[in-house]
Amino acid sequence: MKTVLNCNKITMQFGGLKAVNEFSLEVTEHKIFGLIGPNGAGKTTLFNMITGNLQPTEGVIYFYDKPIVGLKPYKIVSLGMARTFQNIRLFANLSVLENVLTGFHHKLRYGIFDTLLRTPRFVKNEKIMVEMAFDLLESVNLQDKANAKASELSYGDRRKVEIARALATGPKMLLLDEPAAGMNPQETLSLMYFIEEIREKFDLTILLIEHDMKFVMNLCDHIAVLDHGVKIAEGKPEEVQKNPDVIRAYLGDINA
Amino acid sequence: MKKNTIFTISAIVVLFLFLLYASHNFSAYNIRILNNVAIFLILAASYNLINGVTGQFSLEPNGFAAIGAYTAAILTLTPAQKSAMFIITPMVPWLQSVHMAFLPALIVAGLVTAFVGFILGFPVFRVRGDYLAIVTLGFGLTIRVVSNNTISITNGALGLKGIGNYTTLWWSWGWAVLAMIVIMRLINSEYGRAMKAVRDDEDAAIAMGINTFRVKMTAFVTSAFFEGVAGGLLAHLITTISPTLFTFFFTFNLLIIIVIGGLGSMTGTAIATVLVIWGSELLRFVEQPMHIFSLTIPGIPGMRMVIFAILLIIIMIFARDGLMGQKEFSWDSFFKFFKKNKKLAK
Repeated sequence: MKTVLNCNKITMQFGGLKAVNEFSLEVTEHKIFGLIGPNGAGKTTLFNMITGNLQPTEGVIYFYDKPIVGLKPYKIVSLGMARTFQNIRLFANLSVLENVLTGFHHKLRYGIFDTLLRTPRFVKNEKIMVEMAFDLLESVNLQDKANAKASELSYGDRRKVEIARALATGPKMLLLDEPAAGMNPQETLSLMYFIEEIREKFDLTILLIEHDMKFVMNLCDHIAVLDHGVKIAEGKPEEVQKNPDVIRAYLGDINA
Repeated sequence: MKKNTIFTISAIVVLFLFLLYASHNFSAYNIRILNNVAIFLILAASYNLINGVTGQFSLEPNGFAAIGAYTAAILTLTPAQKSAMFIITPMVPWLQSVHMAFLPALIVAGLVTAFVGFILGFPVFRVRGDYLAIVTLGFGLTIRVVSNNTISITNGALGLKGIGNYTTLWWSWGWAVLAMIVIMRLINSEYGRAMKAVRDDEDAAIAMGINTFRVKMTAFVTSAFFEGVAGGLLAHLITTISPTLFTFFFTFNLLIIIVIGGLGSMTGTAIATVLVIWGSELLRFVEQPMHIFSLTIPGIPGMRMVIFAILLIIIMIFARDGLMGQKEFSWDSFFKFFKKNKKLAK
């Protein structure tokens, strides 16, 4: 099986604090990978390093065998990696449709002069982009709300728009930062099916951070556990669940 | 052709018919106000592109307008005029001899300003938010100091006099309409969406694969181009320019306009420009001495600004998003509004 993402001993040092310490991970194609760990374990820092928002102080990251450390975040997106945020970050004053359309920006097929002169190329590509955006909205069941302002949507819908927007960039890999945060059990369940569905439909590899254990254990094929910046366990959900180190990290040491 | 495009074209035709009527029948004073409205419309609309649409709060238009005004004026002045004017230090020879017609001079003014904007963009867009405002404010102040001291180019504090009054209603409104079309088309495209995305959440925009630096630069350079042209038009309207014309208050006036009109709304900017420029002429009477019954109030210069300040406070309290918010005027909503009123009347 092909390796999509390969983190090789990456370390992030903030002054005297090592937020992530020599972390290694191999994510294989078409799998859903879960990254769990207590608060402050360094999960989001790890995400930020993978997406290029932070530069690891040591180590290398390969995305489809291409080193991506040092690349600008928007460049990494154009290589096929998209992300969502822990606290949903939609473009609040844009419509749902426009939000999705921004995801096509890096593949834009017309230039400034096409824009100013409204050339056939501009008209054609705008039409294609709108159609593609509608297709994406349809796959998240939000085509009826295409013209609503993003800030007017419910929380669950906003999460879906954020994922649709990330899908618009045409990713091979999707990074979800706590997708189920703030959702009720019903919404969480439907999100689980939804993530399964888009993985099949768009042939995605998914890496996600999540606190909801039921969600992670049911959805993920493979789990890595992070504590104080160090990977303390990795494996199938049932293996990780039984790992004494993991239990200690979450519940504290009973013998201490 | 779409129905709305036909409406827009006919609106532009009506505007130019009105200008044709105005150019023959209006007094010189009123024509001057109309010219002023057009020039400030160009300035405010392009300022709104960077401030309202792209959300980069910056304070540089006085600097850009100054560069445009000086460039255009130096290019249209004849060599003889220049040698007569530069009495402290003679002008640098290559500028002394150059001479151009009005239109190429305006375009060169726009291009020079756009180039300055491009260079300025590199340091400026390294910072965000308040810092951006401070850096661009510094640029505006620097341009004034530079124009005061590069005497062999700008004639220093004496300024440039005798600039041909070439700015007619056709030139000013022609450029205003062109600027509006270019800016509106830019906004209603993927570039515009990216600009608004940067305004709403820059980090999320980066995560969508948007090269935010390039997006900001596109808005900034477009804005600089039209501010340069507008500066050139202004120079050829008032025929005398000096560094004191381009103080921070120049920028402040534009800021009032775009805030009243609504940050991010071009049609709002158009309405606000008419209100503010024409309104400040109407309000001239408050600076005259007044007699109310037996009470005599001496004329207080600057009273108009007080009224504008009060107006701004009222707008900030009751309509925080300005007249139009981020919405644009559209023919559909225009007709819907009238239909609704008809229904109510029945």
